[in-house]
Amino acid sequence: MVRRVWREDFRIIGHYTGLVTIGVGLLMLVPMVTSLVFREWASALDFAISAALTLLVGYVLAFVSRTKSTPGLTHAMVIAAGSWLVAVMLSGVPYMLSGHMKSFLDACFDTLSGYTTTGMFLLQDLDHISQGLNMWRHLLTYVGGQGIVVLALTFLIGSTGGAFKIMVGEGKEEKLEPNVRHIAVLIWRISLIYLGVGTVVLGLIAMANGIKPYLAFFQGAYVFMSAWSTGGFAPYSQNMLYYHSSAMEIASMVFFILGSFNFALHYAIWSGNRKEILRNVEIVSFTITMLTTFSLVCLALMQRGVYPNVVALFRRGFFQLVSGHTTTGQSNIYARTFVREWGPLGMVATTIAMAIGASAASTGGGFKGLRMGIIVKGIATDIRKLLSPERAVVTGHYHHLHDNVLSDAVVKSAAVIVVLYVLIYVVGAVVGMAYGYPMADAFFDSVSAGSNTGLSCGVTQAGMPTLLKIVYMLEMWMGRLEFLSVFTLFGFIATSVRSMRLSKATA
Amino acid sequence: MNRLRVVLTVVALAVLIVAPIPASAGQPSLLSTTELVEDSYKWDGKTVSFKGEVLQDLMVREDGTWMNLSDDNNTAMGVFVPKDVPVPVISHTEDYRTVGDVVLITGVFHRTCAQHEGETDIHAVSVTVLTPGSSKANPIRRDRVVWLIVLAGLLGLVMRLYYRKPARGTEH
Repeated sequence: MVRRVWREDFRIIGHYTGLVTIGVGLLMLVPMVTSLVFREWASALDFAISAALTLLVGYVLAFVSRTKSTPGLTHAMVIAAGSWLVAVMLSGVPYMLSGHMKSFLDACFDTLSGYTTTGMFLLQDLDHISQGLNMWRHLLTYVGGQGIVVLALTFLIGSTGGAFKIMVGEGKEEKLEPNVRHIAVLIWRISLIYLGVGTVVLGLIAMANGIKPYLAFFQGAYVFMSAWSTGGFAPYSQNMLYYHSSAMEIASMVFFILGSFNFALHYAIWSGNRKEILRNVEIVSFTITMLTTFSLVCLALMQRGVYPNVVALFRRGFFQLVSGHTTTGQSNIYARTFVREWGPLGMVATTIAMAIGASAASTGGGFKGLRMGIIVKGIATDIRKLLSPERAVVTGHYHHLHDNVLSDAVVKSAAVIVVLYVLIYVVGAVVGMAYGYPMADAFFDSVSAGSNTGLSCGVTQAGMPTLLKIVYMLEMWMGRLEFLSVFTLFGFIATSVRSMRLSKATA
Repeated sequence: MNRLRVVLTVVALAVLIVAPIPASAGQPSLLSTTELVEDSYKWDGKTVSFKGEVLQDLMVREDGTWMNLSDDNNTAMGVFVPKDVPVPVISHTEDYRTVGDVVLITGVFHRTCAQHEGETDIHAVSVTVLTPGSSKANPIRRDRVVWLIVLAGLLGLVMRLYYRKPARGTEH
């Protein structure tokens, strides 16, 4: 039996969504200041308008739905999914005002791609946008990676009981500290320290490679934000090809591998538990699947004689594969090179890597290494059960921060999420094929959207069919929030409609 | 006989006038990024021409200079100019407020360059500035200033209501 929806439910959801929206509005001041620094007056005005509008919406929402009640699990899930939708639409305003988008849907596609750390884009003439808009694109992906709700929790929402539930709704279920605000602060502290280090390292490399000094550190920050959040954006349309620099690619790769690790793993290592990195089921799973898919990529590239030597094969093949596996999406080859040169096997191996994706509670997407590890261990345990005497008690274990017993419920819950991911990958690919795209291309871009990777083999562009854009957007949104909060939002809407009908009937 | 000679001369002249002689006969083909990437095997190792706007950074390295040339919406090609090839003065490179110089380069296209670890690039043998760049106006629109004033006013009002101290006896 589904409970009825009351006015207080709307108040709680409206109030917290309003607070998250205020957070987004305040965030817009960063690109506005960037534009002012670069004397991009028109762009600064666009951001001022967008910030004023977003803050206005946020304050109106928070004011009209004032409440002292704390959110329950249902509210939390609806707040997480709903906040993302409101944030996506309002964050699209500066895109539209810049004149670089063909439609508002395209603007929402790009902001959703940023927040979900996907990295696909439909923005026109990227090489001519303002520094302010470039900062906004990368900031979206950086904040999206840590979780916009986490940001709001850190600065706006106190240490409430419901706050942790909202974080869970956003896919950050690791309870590192007893106090939810401390968790949020911790996530931000780790991310900001890395931001400082990453900006300096990448900025120095950029400067050594001939980038103008006053731009080098901005570009270092952009590339870092994209890498650490496993986002995939870059300041120029050539992505990492722009820099013609192996040092830049290696440094970025280190940051996106780090970004793809579970925050709990970072915390364990920061707390002195360094052995965890060798034992953690996600790291073991990532290493195995990465080596397997990279072997397939090597086989494909060697069979076709794509690269002239081993160094070239490793620099292009390994970077692309790891970028796909960590669901980053940065690229040091052209999009169409996948189709024209890598061929079906190379594309399938990259698609599998993207589908599996990064670690749970990280900035990455995909099935996640933790679920892959649990399912494989579950299968192994079942085989051991079959081979053991009937009376023998066989239990499986997996190591994630500590040794855990592998119960049927844990395996089932991991399998359900994996099935849901496969479902969205297939739906996106079928829609793509229905529009006439070849199967390998349709699957490649669909999996890339659903796993929040952002690599493209040429399907994703402003001229693609509108329905396919919407399907990819749904894939990005569901993939990032891992389904539960999105389904709860749909359920809440359905229940609200039913409640309204019941009220009318009884009146 | 004379008549035949006249007819043949007229026909020959007509063929010379009408026959489609490519403007770039003897010149390397002028290609775009899309054409080069889509037909990378066909153009690999061939001398091609490429025209594009110089993007923001000219990256000077030990053995030459890298420039990125944008030739269409979101497509650009990396061009490596070896040290022994003279680079003309590039007065403007692209940014938000500047249209970069448009240059024409002739060079060898590499599908996967062995020297640059598999990069898709062109090694230039000549670089010519076709059109010098210029400053770009990004004017402030008056209607947007009005929008900002209206929104800021409304925001101030709502914030005042939101942060107003609750009256005694009410919930907030």
